[in-house]
Amino acid sequence: MSWQAVDRTRVPEEQLGPGLSEAVKEKIRAFFSRYPTKQAAVLPALHIAQDALGYVSLRAMKELAELLEIPPSKVMDVVTFYTHFWTHPKGRKTLLLCRSISCELLGAGKLKDAIRQRLGIGEHETTPDGEYSFMTEECLAACDHAPCLMVNEKMHKCVRPEDLERILADADNDRLDIPRSDLFDAP
Amino acid sequence: MPTITIDGKKVDCREGVPVLQAALEAGLEVPHYCYHPGLSIVASCRLCLMEMKMPNPQTKELEWAPRLFPSCQTPVRDGMEVRFESPAVQGNQQHVMEYYLVNHPLDCPVCDKAGECYLQDYSERFGHASSRMVEDKHKNPKKNIGSDTLLYQDRCVLCTRCVRFCDEIAGAGELRVVDRGNRCEIDVFPGVPLDNPLQGNVVDLCPVGALLDKGFLFRQRVWMLRHTPSVSPADSSGATIWIDHNDEGVHRCRPRFNERVNQWWISDEQRFAWRAYVRREHERLTLPRQRRGGETETVRWEDLPAILRFRFEQAARAPSGPQAPAPGSKVAAVLSPMMSCEEAWLLGRFIRSVAPQATLVLGHVPVVGQDRTFAKGFVIRAEKCPNRRGVERAMESLGGPNLALADFLKAAGEGKFAAAYVVGGYPESWVTPDMQKPLAKVEFLVVHDLFASPLSAAATIVIPGASWMEREGTFMNCDGLVQPFERAIVPLEGVKSDGQFFHELCGEPGLFRSRRTREKMAETMPEFASVFVPRQEPEYAH
Ligand code: SF4
Ligand code: FES
Ligand code: FES
Repeated sequence: MSWQAVDRTRVPEEQLGPGLSEAVKEKIRAFFSRYPTKQAAVLPALHIAQDALGYVSLRAMKELAELLEIPPSKVMDVVTFYTHFWTHPKGRKTLLLCRSISCELLGAGKLKDAIRQRLGIGEHETTPDGEYSFMTEECLAACDHAPCLMVNEKMHKCVRPEDLERILADADNDRLDIPRSDLFDAP
Repeated sequence: MPTITIDGKKVDCREGVPVLQAALEAGLEVPHYCYHPGLSIVASCRLCLMEMKMPNPQTKELEWAPRLFPSCQTPVRDGMEVRFESPAVQGNQQHVMEYYLVNHPLDCPVCDKAGECYLQDYSERFGHASSRMVEDKHKNPKKNIGSDTLLYQDRCVLCTRCVRFCDEIAGAGELRVVDRGNRCEIDVFPGVPLDNPLQGNVVDLCPVGALLDKGFLFRQRVWMLRHTPSVSPADSSGATIWIDHNDEGVHRCRPRFNERVNQWWISDEQRFAWRAYVRREHERLTLPRQRRGGETETVRWEDLPAILRFRFEQAARAPSGPQAPAPGSKVAAVLSPMMSCEEAWLLGRFIRSVAPQATLVLGHVPVVGQDRTFAKGFVIRAEKCPNRRGVERAMESLGGPNLALADFLKAAGEGKFAAAYVVGGYPESWVTPDMQKPLAKVEFLVVHDLFASPLSAAATIVIPGASWMEREGTFMNCDGLVQPFERAIVPLEGVKSDGQFFHELCGEPGLFRSRRTREKMAETMPEFASVFVPRQEPEYAH
């Protein structure tokens, strides 16, 4: 045949990635009573899975589908809808660049080029040493300080390409400034 | 019945249908991709938008609303007024059509759907003939997503019909929209392919060339095909279908809308049933043959009626003695549930005319598993033949001695029958040793079948049968519905269609016409006075 079709009917075992531990599954089950259907718990379940594995592997999606009693395709639908969920391993620090209009107008494009050049990775990619991942996102809700760049939970405002080195070296990048809601930890 | 006004013309519509449906039923050509009457409504393709009169929130007066509304999502209300032929509506159509072509590869010359593609038709009718896109196109991949189905993602318009079909009708939910916005794709979960037994329908449903049938891929240009209305022989549900064929033979079957049976769908079994006949074509019986001693020789079709009449009469006259089954004579006919109602009745009549006490037997009824009912009521029947009820009805009206197949075989094994006419016609091998042995005891065995089998090898006379695609008649489905099917292709060379042969056997002149036979049948069986032909539906982008 003159063209190639991607084979979606089979998937090699090693591409399935890690699965969920019994403890994680238990944590997810604890959410069921809050919703009218098991399917409705898909978002908290995905958060829990991503927190546990760093991303949502195919195996995790399959296991979630089983827990929530829906076809695995439905879990994949939700996972891929939200850029927040990763379908492949993520670096220790995630750079999240705003691609919305205020930031774009004030130079997010140049910043994006600088990040790409400095880290050598494109969107939704990870540096070989596993240190950084990079992605863009619609409005980070700080338009008055455009352009904005988040590293993990820390927001950097009015960022110019020359600030990049300083920001990458910021010791606070790994810190969780904002205490996270306990929603996903203590149902 | 509500009446609405479309472009100043009054249109009567069915209660509760969307404006789009009413407009289509009134014969208007309204472009639409996402709407399908058998699926839930999502109003996502934005092609069907119309202008509508709405109550002004302040004055409560009806006036033309400033924006366009999806006609597929707006139910008709009596007295409603809408505009379709208007600059605003046409402007929308042009813009939307232009967007649909942004990343489309425009590969119609190699696309299976070309000729029945609604992207082609609508671009021509509502959009532009040329594209203004000068940027690089985003190329989406081609994907192997199921046992019978391919997805050319680059041609998809994301109407989500296929997704809704798998969720709502097939209930398996294998297909999904993944990613978001301009990166959307249709996909299956890797390693969990599309393999529900109704999957073929997504190919018909797809308004463009995105979902394709692997078996039909690159086989034919659709404008080379002729379409013949038929009824599927794959099970007893009586699903109505189109047989698409040309001089080279049959190329595919598609559902034909039927409000009482299969709606817009058919099962894959029904869709691909024709392939079994084609696959075994080299095994087909092609000439009538007669055994003389150890040898067989061909017989001319014209000579067959006289031979059969003579031999059956002879067997019927033979002293019945203690050997014959109680009230009957030593003659029997096994009527296959693959036969049409007309054929069963004609053959039954012939046998009774030469042997008034002949025993009629309902042939082997293949059953596989259990009936399977899907979410919205589509049923795949366990009984894998089209016309058990029709044959039973014909036997009932002919009266006289009857036997169940097992009892007949037992009696035949005891040598109680001297002559039997056995009809097969099954696409798969059906003769078991349990049948073969007792039937070997029948001195004058006539086998009328599609394919050579141990039974045809043992028969005194072998008569080649025609497949359902080569015949015309009616099938009575499991609910007693009598539906006609037409002949799509000419019988294989040397083969006479069963109906024509039985017609001649009964001494009728001229050509067999199932309708004329039904008129005669209706004298004793009123249900054959008229047949059920489904309502003509507007075309919903297939
Ligand atoms: S593959 Fe066909 S049916 Fe499915 S969303 Fe795309 S265009 Fe619609
Ligand atoms: S546009 Fe960048 S933060 Fe809102
Ligand atoms: S929006 Fe009405 S048919 Fe798609």
